[in-house]
Amino acid sequence: MELLIGAGVIAATLRLATPIAFAALGGVITERSGVTNIALEGCMLFGAFFGILAADKTGSAPLAVLIGLLAGTVLAAVHAVASVTWRADQIVTGMALNILALGVTSYLNYEIYGSGVPSGVPLLPALNLDFLAGVPFVGGVIGHQNVLVWLALVLVIVLQLYMFRTVAGLRLRAVGEHPRAADTVGIDVRRTRYWAVLASGGLAALGGVYLTVADTGSFTDGLTNGRGFIGLAAMIFGRWTPVGALVASLIFGYGDALSVSLQGVSIGDLRIPVQLLSTIPYLLTILAVAGFVGRSRPPAADGVPYESEGH
Amino acid sequence: MKRLLALAFISVLMATNTACGNLGGLGGPSVKIGLVTDVGGLNDKGFNSLANQGRLDAAKDFGVETSVTESKKQEDYVPNLTNYAQQNYDLVVGVGFLMTNSIWKVAKQFPNIKFALIDGAPANDKGDTENLPNVANLFFKEQEPGYVVGVIAAMMAKDKVGKATHNTVCSMGGIPIPSVDRWIAGYQDAVKTISPTTTILHGYSNDFVDQAKGKEVGLNHISKGCDILFQVAGGSGLGYIAAAKEKGVYAIGVDADQSDVAPGTVITSALKRVNKAVYDTVKAVKDKAYKAGDNFFSATNDGIGIGKVDAVVPANIKTAADQALTDIKSGKIKPKTEIQVKG
Repeated sequence: MELLIGAGVIAATLRLATPIAFAALGGVITERSGVTNIALEGCMLFGAFFGILAADKTGSAPLAVLIGLLAGTVLAAVHAVASVTWRADQIVTGMALNILALGVTSYLNYEIYGSGVPSGVPLLPALNLDFLAGVPFVGGVIGHQNVLVWLALVLVIVLQLYMFRTVAGLRLRAVGEHPRAADTVGIDVRRTRYWAVLASGGLAALGGVYLTVADTGSFTDGLTNGRGFIGLAAMIFGRWTPVGALVASLIFGYGDALSVSLQGVSIGDLRIPVQLLSTIPYLLTILAVAGFVGRSRPPAADGVPYESEGH
Repeated sequence: MKRLLALAFISVLMATNTACGNLGGLGGPSVKIGLVTDVGGLNDKGFNSLANQGRLDAAKDFGVETSVTESKKQEDYVPNLTNYAQQNYDLVVGVGFLMTNSIWKVAKQFPNIKFALIDGAPANDKGDTENLPNVANLFFKEQEPGYVVGVIAAMMAKDKVGKATHNTVCSMGGIPIPSVDRWIAGYQDAVKTISPTTTILHGYSNDFVDQAKGKEVGLNHISKGCDILFQVAGGSGLGYIAAAKEKGVYAIGVDADQSDVAPGTVITSALKRVNKAVYDTVKAVKDKAYKAGDNFFSATNDGIGIGKVDAVVPANIKTAADQALTDIKSGKIKPKTEIQVKG
């Protein structure tokens, strides 16, 4: 039981879910505005590399968060220009940016860190809640989580409230559902979409910053390893809502955590093969889609470029 | 007009390109060596970067002409290998066991070109090994360096040196394949031989790139009492080392000397001198001593070894490790090649 729902496994779930959740939140924002952004993977990679680069060069971890976030936003800005202003195919642009991000970061990594990221780079600290130390389970799960894990949780609540409890959130959703109607009542469709795409890049980049500046302190080519895409999947399972995206990210994180905690465990005389364990995240995915999600519907104008009348 | 201009421009480009290619061929009797890397890229701080180091060393020492092509994906292997073969290179070196079928295809097509494959033998389309008269298979006895660092781990755990207080040692592989498991087999063999009471744990990150997963396996092992963590998992292994660093325990590097990754945490590294394998093969081609089929790199020919040993390791343990290396060389110790404690 300890191996399935022990504090260690749940703490690992939170850690593994964090980068996915950041990407998923980015996905929710941009798709709610009607722009698909599959370049989240690339934005995350940018955040990961430029984050650790900034931490190394400036010696300040908070500054590294800011610079990593900006790097992801810059990449997303390219996507915004291409998909909102030029009305290009959003999948093609996104894919191109992912390839660009992999190339740029791999090249710079080779040039700057040919012999590895130095070992003394400042990292983001964990938030030590010592008053929880005596509380069973809870202390083990949230007692020593990194500040970025907390930031992800806070952002989920903030974005959920923004999207469904504020006028600005309503406008964002209107733009994604029926841009023509939104335009008619005076909402600036292009500007709304620009901000949403930029925000998605920044959020995904935070996931990358978490991987390098909070989790491991080093960078290797392509280390985001598809988490941007898994974030998009989490967004779909979560029915394009921040809270739903978080729950879906936690399911993915839990699957990953289980594939670690169950290694070397036997049921009777039967040892669970490690190859089988590595399928757990995907099995959970299928279960989630088949069982819990039901029918999910994307925003009506998702991925459709908007052309205002008279053009 | 515009299109015509573009066409002219492209033709000029192509002509220059071909001219350059030919120029290399006319450069006299110089030996030409081409290296095709695996997907990890040239700065993987392991495998590919070591192979490239061997190429550069050979270029410097033998005055041979060399070139390198990075494979970005597995589909690149065949075109990259073919490209060198078509240009009549004297030796085309492929890096990594993933290339076994690609090298078989290309070597069959170019029987007059010599090939070398690191960590593998040519495999036909059915997946069966089929040695070719123009392919040298460069294998390493990974169990040997695994054993030597295992001696250090076992004695550190047994004597409870420094932060190693739980008498437990661990290891993590990328994925369960022979060239990964051989390291671990040697490591576990040493621990079982030298300190039978020491607990051994082993796991896999199921990945060679993902650092976060490697770190989780590390944190999991440390929570079970591991004080010494040995990883054979490429980039993913850096996450395993990061876990050791965060929790203040010890780690052991692999392939290249990884002491710089986390000084004070990485106590030593198990070395696989891919650079030497490339260097020696180039030399063999130059000296007309090239040998197709299996070539082994081991303690006997300095193809393996251990890296810098951290100051935390007491002198007697270091001496024991050096002795183990000598005994492996003389054949007194034959490290096991099968894992005993599975993941």
